[in-house]
Amino acid sequence: MSTAAFFRVEGTLTERSALSAAAWIATHAQGLGERVARLGNIALATPFRIAGEMQFGTTATKMTWMGVRGMSEDRLVLLGEEYFETYMKDEVLEVGERLLKEARKQGRRIILISDSVDVVVAPLAKHLGADDLICNRLELRKNKATGKLEEPVIGGNVAGQWAREFASEHAIDLSQSWAYGASAADSLLMSALGQPCAVNPDRQLRRLAKDHSWPVVEK
Amino acid sequence: MQRTDVNTSSSTPELSMNHPATPMKPLRETYAGKHLVVTGTTGFLGKVWLAMVLDFLPEVGHITLLIRGKKGESADERFTRIFEASPAFRPLRDKLGQELRALIADKVTVKKAALTEPLCGFSESEAKELMANVDAVVHFAGLTDFEPDPQWSIDANIHGAAHVADLAALSPKHRYVHVSTTFVGGMRNGEIAEVVTPGISPNGTRFDPSEELRICEAEIAKLETKKERIDLVMARAQALGWPNIYTYSKGLSEHLIDLRTDVVTTTYRPAIVECARNYPFQGWNEGINTSGPIVWLLSTSFQRFPAKATNNFDIVPVDTVARTMVMVTGRALEDTAQHVYQCASGHQNPFTFERAVDLCGIAIRRMHKRTGNSVEKNFTAYLDSHCADPTKTEVLGFRRMQKAAKATRSFLRSHKLERYLSPSLFEKIDGKRIQKALDEVSKEARSTDRILDRVDGMLRQYRPFIHDYNYTFLTDNLVIDTQMLAEEDRERFGFDIHDICWRDYWMNTQVPGLEKWSLPLMRNEKVPDDPPLPRLGEEKARRTGEFVIAGQPTPANETMVRAS
Repeated sequence: MSTAAFFRVEGTLTERSALSAAAWIATHAQGLGERVARLGNIALATPFRIAGEMQFGTTATKMTWMGVRGMSEDRLVLLGEEYFETYMKDEVLEVGERLLKEARKQGRRIILISDSVDVVVAPLAKHLGADDLICNRLELRKNKATGKLEEPVIGGNVAGQWAREFASEHAIDLSQSWAYGASAADSLLMSALGQPCAVNPDRQLRRLAKDHSWPVVEK
Repeated sequence: MQRTDVNTSSSTPELSMNHPATPMKPLRETYAGKHLVVTGTTGFLGKVWLAMVLDFLPEVGHITLLIRGKKGESADERFTRIFEASPAFRPLRDKLGQELRALIADKVTVKKAALTEPLCGFSESEAKELMANVDAVVHFAGLTDFEPDPQWSIDANIHGAAHVADLAALSPKHRYVHVSTTFVGGMRNGEIAEVVTPGISPNGTRFDPSEELRICEAEIAKLETKKERIDLVMARAQALGWPNIYTYSKGLSEHLIDLRTDVVTTTYRPAIVECARNYPFQGWNEGINTSGPIVWLLSTSFQRFPAKATNNFDIVPVDTVARTMVMVTGRALEDTAQHVYQCASGHQNPFTFERAVDLCGIAIRRMHKRTGNSVEKNFTAYLDSHCADPTKTEVLGFRRMQKAAKATRSFLRSHKLERYLSPSLFEKIDGKRIQKALDEVSKEARSTDRILDRVDGMLRQYRPFIHDYNYTFLTDNLVIDTQMLAEEDRERFGFDIHDICWRDYWMNTQVPGLEKWSLPLMRNEKVPDDPPLPRLGEEKARRTGEFVIAGQPTPANETMVRAS
């Protein structure tokens, strides 16, 4: 069995959240009026995000991407690439990149987990040379986004469940694998793995890390 | 003229079943030692085809090019300029250097010809001598303007083709490859089959093509102005189901050629030929082709593009057209060609106007951000275009903009400040400076009016193809022949339209290509040729680190050793 390193993208590799990516994409919709409407739609997700993913599971993630409904696959892919080039490529968190390089050096399979969508994080995964990417996918019908995410939706506190399923499918020994997370919502992912590590943790995760004696890595 | 219910598209499945599907010999063998007579190699497609044949099939026996002199240049000079400096020949120049001259001298002969004259301007004995050992005639030449003076279009596209076919009839095998356009399908929706139905027009009217041509020319001769001639031929074209003069002349030509029994015709119909994917290099285009004005229009603040979102935008890269033309010519040389081939994208890999306009918006924003002025960077870049109904487009301001520009210019021209102000007041408020600013506004208004006029003309001409009709040109014959190609030829000469990712093509090939090769022409700027192929002495000097005194003859003793 092989070992892996699971990185939660948001917080460990980039400070940009899925919400900022969705908002940027919405502001680059085809029509001027359309842009305002889409932004308004995405703004509805903000309270759920602020209240915390632990409370609302994947609701906030689903609501975040409702604002891109009706946008073409072409536009989403190109804007995703542009968002990566403009806001993510040169802003990868140094600490996360260092941990990722170390994990690769130790022969671990690099797996990125993100509640953002593939058009945004796939270029990042490629840039970082990740082996696998577990993220959300926009449901498309006739090459247009329906505003829904394909099931199963990644987000909130369900990443741990996904890590377990992925590990069983790919013969990964979770007890010898590492999980890097940054927020309380990542705690279930981290507790599912043998070697959890908090990276720039928020207040709740810091407390959990202290309680469970998980290593903490800061900027 | 009578109407008939003949549905030409219904014959497609049968045609496919009847396709002989004979495996082809390697094209090197097919072309080896063959003598081809070719017209139209100074055009966009003809150049690429010729460069490909010389590049990949040097076993070809000989190619005689029929070229007319133009603008003080002889036929020879025109072709020399093309192979020495046209980007289409860049791969050959890069590969062969000076040896390209030897290859051209060995394989190519240029003959001055006038296609609009009987036997292309050759005497009967000259024509017989020329055609005595010719294996096939390939006719690319044509006039692609949508609304030219109709007689020019008839001369180039109908009489020109007939004269070239007359030459082909003098050759031993009578093989004639005729390049037409898919848009001869006319004003119809749906599938357009790979067939010619001589004497039945696109709208099903039975007519006599020779008689139609005779009457049309006789009527044209009676009219004095170009506008009258255009109106007449447009009306005749539309009565038969062709949307404009170009498709009428090309369609009529197909009918007339098809009725001939003295030539074995293979008709090849490309759709809208656009930027190269790979050959001669990614993005190359020449002149103002169909999508150039469209991209240019979308790069302005004109926001609503009057196309039907779901209609096919049937574009094909020039190298896809050229490579399949090489294959089809090979088929003709083997005497196994189908009667008609269509080279289009809509059947195998459709691309719609909705996608094109959507992608254009993003590509143009990036272009403006990269190279635009401050207005383009901060304003126009954020305006994306949509497909819109043409009638609504007018309501949404296009006509009003034009009227406002005209009114502004007319007002400013007839109301000079000096007329309304006393000389002392004029001087006091620095009237000269204000008048100069107003003159600038007037100039801008004129330029806007002209641009809008041009846009209006373009949109009117394009409307049948971008809005009124949605065609799917069937391409079964190219697909089947690709399967029949020898293994070694399939990758190089097969029909590769299904491989195209339109998003990638549009963003990384088409729009950058147009930006470099076509949009400057829309702005009345020049697109430079490549640096000319150096003479022998020059090339040697470059290799040995010497350089040549500019403008001097180039024997070795006149070069200067570079001071190190």
